[in-house]
Amino acid sequence: MTTIDLPAGRSERRWPTLNRLVGVGRRSPTATVGFVIVVTFALMAIFAQYITPHDPVEAYPRNILNPPDAQFWLGTDGNGMDIFSRVIYGARYAFAIAVPAVLLSIVIGVPIGLWTGYRGGLFDEGLMRFFDALRVFPSIILALAVVAAAGPSVINVVIVIGLLDSPIFVRVVRAEVLALRSSTMVEAARAAGNPTWRILLVHLLPNAIQGAMAQTAVRAAWAVRISATLAFLGVGIQVPTPEWGVMIRQGAEYMVTGQWWVAIFPGIALVVMVLGLNMLGDGLQDLLNPRRKG
Amino acid sequence: MALLSVEDLETHFVSRNLDNEVLVAHALNGVSFAVDRGQVLGLVGETGAGKSLTAQSVMGLLRPPALRVGGKALFDGTDLFDLPTDTMNAMRGRDIALVVQNPRTSLDPLTRIGDQLVRIQRVHAQISAADARKRAIAMLDAVGIPEPMRRMRAWPHELSGGMAQRVLIAMALINDPKLLIADEPTTGLDVTVQAQILDLLRDLVIDRDMAAIIITHDLGVVAHYCDRVVVMFAGGIVEAGPVGAVFGQPCHPYTRALLAATPERLALGSGRRFGGPPPDLYNLPKGCHYRDRCSNATELCQQTPSFATVASDHDARCHYAASLKDQPL
Amino acid sequence: MKVRRFLLRRLIFIVPLLIGIVFFTFMLVRIGGQDPVEMLAGPTATQAHIDLIERELGLDQPLLSQFLIYIGNVFTGNLGDSWISSQPVLDDILRRAPITLELLFWGVGLGALIGIPVGLRVAGRPDSWFDQCARVVSLFGFSIPTYWLGLVMLFVFFYLLGWAPPGIGRIGLVVIPPETITGSYLIDSLLTGDWEAAHSAFSHLVLPVMCIAIISAAPIIKHTRAIALEVYRGDAVRFARASGLPRWVVRRIVMRNSTVPVMTFVGTEITGLVGTTSLIEFVFAWGGLGQYGLNAIISGDFAAVQGYVLFLALFSVIVFLIIDLTVVIIEPRSSEAT
Repeated sequence: MTTIDLPAGRSERRWPTLNRLVGVGRRSPTATVGFVIVVTFALMAIFAQYITPHDPVEAYPRNILNPPDAQFWLGTDGNGMDIFSRVIYGARYAFAIAVPAVLLSIVIGVPIGLWTGYRGGLFDEGLMRFFDALRVFPSIILALAVVAAAGPSVINVVIVIGLLDSPIFVRVVRAEVLALRSSTMVEAARAAGNPTWRILLVHLLPNAIQGAMAQTAVRAAWAVRISATLAFLGVGIQVPTPEWGVMIRQGAEYMVTGQWWVAIFPGIALVVMVLGLNMLGDGLQDLLNPRRKG
Repeated sequence: MALLSVEDLETHFVSRNLDNEVLVAHALNGVSFAVDRGQVLGLVGETGAGKSLTAQSVMGLLRPPALRVGGKALFDGTDLFDLPTDTMNAMRGRDIALVVQNPRTSLDPLTRIGDQLVRIQRVHAQISAADARKRAIAMLDAVGIPEPMRRMRAWPHELSGGMAQRVLIAMALINDPKLLIADEPTTGLDVTVQAQILDLLRDLVIDRDMAAIIITHDLGVVAHYCDRVVVMFAGGIVEAGPVGAVFGQPCHPYTRALLAATPERLALGSGRRFGGPPPDLYNLPKGCHYRDRCSNATELCQQTPSFATVASDHDARCHYAASLKDQPL
Repeated sequence: MKVRRFLLRRLIFIVPLLIGIVFFTFMLVRIGGQDPVEMLAGPTATQAHIDLIERELGLDQPLLSQFLIYIGNVFTGNLGDSWISSQPVLDDILRRAPITLELLFWGVGLGALIGIPVGLRVAGRPDSWFDQCARVVSLFGFSIPTYWLGLVMLFVFFYLLGWAPPGIGRIGLVVIPPETITGSYLIDSLLTGDWEAAHSAFSHLVLPVMCIAIISAAPIIKHTRAIALEVYRGDAVRFARASGLPRWVVRRIVMRNSTVPVMTFVGTEITGLVGTTSLIEFVFAWGGLGQYGLNAIISGDFAAVQGYVLFLALFSVIVFLIIDLTVVIIEPRSSEAT
């Protein structure tokens, strides 16, 4: 039992970064797997044109609904487009929507959370009630309604997802600020005559941002999921864009006639990507918030 | 023979940091003491000294990352650490009872206190519900709760802190345990209520010929209510003995510093000793653990001191115990 | 007494909330880019024709008076007519609501029936292999797109195995639906003793209900685990263990103390699961309110969207109310809190 008292080995000292990664990996295997998945998809997205054997939107009229074979690894869809290439290119759309959407909700949510948390008052109260009221709607219905109203385009989808998700960041940051607002640290800063902006940026932001960061991966997972759902419903990204939701929509009718590959493969890509982000997010929340560790 | 005799108890906290290094905090290193029937033992020391951890280790209530790595706890001759978990669980609340701090949150919030008192009897003994109810009412009466019949139907949240602590004591004593461990039983209570609770505890212990361990950082409590005292520092015992002897002729510098820091003494203006942070349990210094805070540390203190018996049944873990004995505070 | 005061205080908040929600959606659909007039009139319509349609629909009025007229109508039970089905929206909604509620009820019920015991169980042994499995399974549940799960289910159980009926509607095409009592084919056919219809309705329910159960079990497992874990680490369980209460008693204490927070959580989840149910309806051509709402939004059917949204809000508010009311009744401490 006492042999666990290991002395720090030389290798541990020489590779502090690597060692820290190993440590994180050991503490949270889910996060590691999630990280690997997300990186894999990122590489797929970046090098899509080198990996794919076909153009994702080139139709082969003589090869409509081909089952998977040597030429079309994952088969072709109803337009005769190569599903493998389309699935790979789909990663680009996932990142192109998720990354800016999450950035947007951080850019909107964090400052509002800081400000309302620190100031409180009527605006804070009103905003929170407004967010509460939004909660009576399922997020997909809300997103669908807003995108439908705003007009379907990739930019609109990004903006709507970013907007609808910003309350999460407002809440996280606000809660953190509320807890710190009356702490001795902030009292001391105020007593020392620091202006409000300085207290917010120097004293509150660094503490509050950690909670926000822990949310990013999970929110990105949500963004990927909901944008695909919108595309599946025919709102947002349109056919024949190689986006996973669009592809599942295209393949839906073939599921009951046996051409399963059209919808199955983009669906698998979507599930794995979202799963990866969720696993990464789950691990992030554990690591950045030791109280949650089970 | 002592009712409970703890020998060389060692408990560690084992964890890994972000750099994947194994960290071991030596939270208890070789704790030994004994309690007899009819005796009240006081366990004192500053926060983090390992008082509560000692109680939890003995009762088998440790949870990861805390891990008992060595030692014995002989209770009536059997080593508690050798018992299967179910047997140990059956002994808790029947032979060894614990009174915890935070009485209000420790009671099951969704069960009426009468039902809780009945439940704890019926899981430990074959007794009819009606008999258990009668005993519960008698017990509530014994711990000084007015209108015990009516109180049986009370919800925990309806009780004041002092009342809740009395209920907790009633629950601890209702199965006539042989040993009672009270872990800071009076923190968070009014001073007057504190005294009532402790008087009650002491009377009940004497009446029922039990042994009791009171864990506290309040030397006044020890002086008033305990027969023996064990002073803990950094996961080890620094001094142990009868209360009169230890408080009258403290032989360890830490005990002396503690005594000198009581409000009465400070008011008298007697020499204030320098405090300081407790030693790092992850990286305990060699030699005497108190060395860094001790005003009379010397070269010799680089070596680990052993227990020196300064009087019958009075030991101190200091190289200079004998010479400190007769120095005035 | 306690209950009545609670209800009164709640109702005071609900009315402005609903009006706010109606206003929000009213503005949203009208400011948006969809133009129902163009859609109704068709590409070859003359300007005079378009003006006529606008006047008929009241769209030539200023926005605010449109809104006031709408609110006034809502209070008299007139939600307008759907431009697509040409039916009164209220009739459309009332006819379809039980269809969706049935699906939601069985789906969430089954999800809770799986999720809550699993969550409680793994909280008792955190980091055990069962806990890790539950964690991965629940992560999967979080990650699977509802509609895709529905499609895969159809492919496997209808196309490959032939166990399930095709995903079109709620009852076999050649089966005569039972007369409407509650609106649920299953319950109605059981009530009328029509076993053939009951069997058909049941077999049509299985796949969609399973999908909703799988999707809803994931968050329920995760949160029940977190809630129970907190109880396990609390003073009450510490003291229970120190009192030597046997494991099953401790487990029961944890269960009872988790009930209220878990119930509250499931209640708030139901709102989100309405979205899930809508997508499932879409895939299985269920024909309930969810599908109606999605179609209304996609095709810009203003009156239908507003009616649907109002109904959703009302539904959520009622669910929250029921949950809170139950909490007030079963929780002994709540008399202090309110």
